[in-house]
Amino acid sequence: MNRFRRQILAGCLGLTAATAGALWLHLSYRARPDYAFLSGWVLLAGMFVLALYNVRKKLPFLPLGKSETWLQIHIYLGFFTTFLFLFHLNFRLPRGLFEITLAGLFVLVSGSGFLGLFFSRVLPRRLATRGGEAIFEKIPAQRHALRMEAETLALGRDANSPVIAEFYVKRLAVFLAGPRNFWPHLMESCRPVGGLLAELADLRRVATEGDRERIDQLARLVRQKDGLDYQRALQLTLRLWLFVHIPLTYGLMIFTVLHIVLVYAFSGGAQ
Amino acid sequence: MPAAPTILERPQRWDASFDPGMTEEGVERVLATAPFSRMNAERFPKRTPLREILRNDTRISKFRQGEIIVRQGDYGTSAFLVLRGAVRVVLKPHLAPSLLGRQATKKKGIFRTLAQLWNGSRPAEFLSRRQLGRNTGLGTRQDAEAVRIVLQDVPRILDRNRTEQMTAGEFFGEIAALSRMARTSTIFADSDDAELLEIRWQGLRDLMKYDDALRAHINQIYRERALASYLRATPLLQHLDEARLEMVAGAVEFATFGDYDWSGEYKRLAQAGNVRPEKEPVILGEGDYPNGVVLVRAGFARVSQKIGGGERTLNYLGAGQVFGLDEIAHNWRSKDRPVNNQYSLRAIGYTHLLIVPTQVMEAVVLPSLPASELPPLIQRPEGDFDIDAPAASAREKVGAETLEFLTENRFFNGTATMVIDLDRCTRCDDCVRACASTHDNNPRFLRHGPSAGRLLIANACMHCADPVCMIGCPTGAIHRESFAGQVVINPATCIGCKSCFNNCPYDAIRMVEARDERGELLVDQEMKPITKATKCDLCVENRGGPACERACPHGALTRMNLNQIDALAKWLKP
Repeated sequence: MNRFRRQILAGCLGLTAATAGALWLHLSYRARPDYAFLSGWVLLAGMFVLALYNVRKKLPFLPLGKSETWLQIHIYLGFFTTFLFLFHLNFRLPRGLFEITLAGLFVLVSGSGFLGLFFSRVLPRRLATRGGEAIFEKIPAQRHALRMEAETLALGRDANSPVIAEFYVKRLAVFLAGPRNFWPHLMESCRPVGGLLAELADLRRVATEGDRERIDQLARLVRQKDGLDYQRALQLTLRLWLFVHIPLTYGLMIFTVLHIVLVYAFSGGAQ
Repeated sequence: MPAAPTILERPQRWDASFDPGMTEEGVERVLATAPFSRMNAERFPKRTPLREILRNDTRISKFRQGEIIVRQGDYGTSAFLVLRGAVRVVLKPHLAPSLLGRQATKKKGIFRTLAQLWNGSRPAEFLSRRQLGRNTGLGTRQDAEAVRIVLQDVPRILDRNRTEQMTAGEFFGEIAALSRMARTSTIFADSDDAELLEIRWQGLRDLMKYDDALRAHINQIYRERALASYLRATPLLQHLDEARLEMVAGAVEFATFGDYDWSGEYKRLAQAGNVRPEKEPVILGEGDYPNGVVLVRAGFARVSQKIGGGERTLNYLGAGQVFGLDEIAHNWRSKDRPVNNQYSLRAIGYTHLLIVPTQVMEAVVLPSLPASELPPLIQRPEGDFDIDAPAASAREKVGAETLEFLTENRFFNGTATMVIDLDRCTRCDDCVRACASTHDNNPRFLRHGPSAGRLLIANACMHCADPVCMIGCPTGAIHRESFAGQVVINPATCIGCKSCFNNCPYDAIRMVEARDERGELLVDQEMKPITKATKCDLCVENRGGPACERACPHGALTRMNLNQIDALAKWLKP
C-alpha cells in the first residue's frame, strides 16, 4: 500500500469515527436548550480551521508544516463540518431569507470544495496523456505561433492553392483564433477536432500532390492546437473552481458572523 | 544535384590549448625543470610528444603573496607544480567561508522570516548593498588573465591556523584533478614571486601514462593521502584487519574513464538527440574475463547488457558502489564452472575507479567475508537473456522507460532533484509561488523540463553529486554549503562570468541582471549591467526545508537523490 492509500484509509477511518461520535452526541444532547449554541460554536471552530489553510498557503516561507498535510486535514475536516452543519440544522430545512442564504453559501462552499477535490484527483492524469506539458500562461503565445504558421501555409507568399486558402478562411481561422471546445475537452470528447480533421482528409483526397503535403502540415497544426485547447480547458477547470470556493468562503464567513450577532441579539435568553 | 559537402579540417585534441600564450621559451624552461628534465621524451608517442603536452596542456601562472591558488571544497581540473617562490597549505582549522569568497549561511531568524511578508513587493532581482558587499575580509585582483581572490590578513591566518609551506619542485592538487573530488585544502601564494606550472588533467593523465616515475610518484601520494581512509570505509573491505587492508591498498589500481569536461559534450549530444550507451567508453566488457572488482570512487557508470544490436541499461552506479563482485565470488567458489562478466560497465561522463585485482580478491578479500555477505552463485547460462537477473532489479523497480530516461539525461547526478509526479500535479504553481515568496519575489526554478511517463524533472538545481558547475568559478562564489551539501552561490562574489551557467548540463542556472531598490539596473563604470548567476539554493537559509516541496498540496513534488533508485521506486509506488 502506498502512502496515498494509507492516507485515505486513515482519513476515512478517522472521519467515520468522528462522525459516529458526533452523531451519538447529537442524538444524546439535541433536546437540550443550548444544543444549537454548542453545535454552532463547534461548527464555527471547524470552519475557522478550514479557513486557516488559505492563510498557510499565503505564508509558504514560515515553517508551518507541509501543505499536503494541511490539505488532508482540510479535506476530512470539510467532510466532517458538512455533517456538523446537518446536526446543527437538526436535519431540517432552513427557514427565512437570511438562513436560506447562509445555508446556501455553506452548501456552495462545500460543494465547490468537493468538486475541486474531484477535479484535482481526476484531471492531472488526463493532463499527462494529451497535448504535451503546456504552461498555462504560455498557451496564448503557443497558440499564436501555431496560428501564424498555419496562416503562412495557407495564405503566405508561397501558398498558391485557392482551395486551401478558402478552407483556412472559412474553417481553420476560426478554430485557430482562440481557445475552442472547452466542454468537449472537459467531457473527453474528440468529436469536434475529429470533424475538422475529417474535413481536411476530404480536402486532401481532391488536392494536387503539392497541396497534400501542405494539408498534412495543417492537420498537424490542428492536432497541436487541439492539444493546447485540451490543456487549457483542463488547467482552467483546475483553477476556476478555486475562484468560486474562496470568494464564497469570505461571504460565508461574513454571513456566519452576522448570524452569530443576530442569534445572540434575538435569542431572548433562550439559552 | 546534391550540394557539395562543406570540408573542414578534422578537429584535433590541441585545437584549443590550455594557454595560447605558452611560449617556446616557457616550454624550454619547463623541460629543464624536474621532474620533466628527468623524463624520457622517447617514451611518448608521436601523436602526443612531451613537448606538445607541455605546450598545450600547461600554463605558467604568477601569484602574489596572499592570493588564493586553490580553495578547500572547490572542484578543479588542474594540478600544480611550484616552479619558483613558495606556497602555503592551510591544514587545520580550515579557513572561514567568508575568507574564501563564500557566504557563511545562517538560518533566517524570526524577524527576517517575517520580513518576507513585505519583501515580496521589492523589485525583481533586487540586491542590497549589504548583499553586494558582505565579505569585508575579501579582496580581489584582476589582471589580464583572471580574477584572483586575495587573503587580506595573512599574518593572522598564520597565527591561527596550522599551515605548511611548499617550495619549488613540489606538486599539489593532482588527486582532486584526477579523481574529480573536492580540493581538501586551501593553498595560497606565500611569496610575491610565486610561479606555478598548472597542468590540466588531460596533460597530467598523459604524463602519468608515459612516465613511470611521475605515475609512481602520484600513485604514492594517492595511496598515502587518500586511499587508506577510503578503503577502510568501504563495506566490502570492512572485515579486513590493518595488515590485510594494507595488502589491498598496495595492489589497488587506479583508472579514469570518460571526458572530464563531459558537460559540454553531453549538451551537444543531447541537443542532437544522440546520447547513446554505445558511444560511452567501456570499462569492462560483457563476456570479458573478470580482472577485478571495480569500486566507483567518483562519477557514474552504466551497467548495460547487449540486446539485439544495442544495449539496454540495467542500472547505474555512483560513488561507493561495486561492480564485478558477483562473477569473481562465483568463480572463487565454483572453479569448475567459471563465468565471464555478465554485463558491461561503461563510463558516463567522467568516472574515477579503484580496481581490486582478482588475485587479491581471491587471496585476501573473499576469505574475509562471512558466507551471508557473499553474493549468490550465478545460476543462468552465460549469455542468455534473463530479465530476472539481479542487476535488472533497478529496471524492475522503476520501469524500463524511466530508467533509460534518468540515465540518458544523467539525472542520477542529482542529490536533490526536483521530481514532479504528473499524475498528481494539478499545475497550480503553488511551488513556484512558494519559491518566489522565499526568495524576495524571485522564483529560482521553472516548473518545466524533460518528462517521461508520469515523471517530470523540473529545471531546478539538482545539487549534483558531481557538480560540474563548480569547475572554473574564478572567485569561488559557487560552492558547497558543507561537504556534500547544497550547492549555493554567493551574490557578493559572483562576477557574472557565466562559467557555471555554461557548465551546467541541466540548464538549472540563470543569469539575471541585478537591480537596485527602485528597480533600476545596476551598472558598472562602462554602463554595462551587473549580472549574477542565480539558482535554487534548496532554501538553505529557511527553516523547514525547501519551500517548493512543502508548498505542494498534493504531494506531487519532492526533492530526491536520484542515485537511490529505491527511494524513487517507493515514491512512485502505485
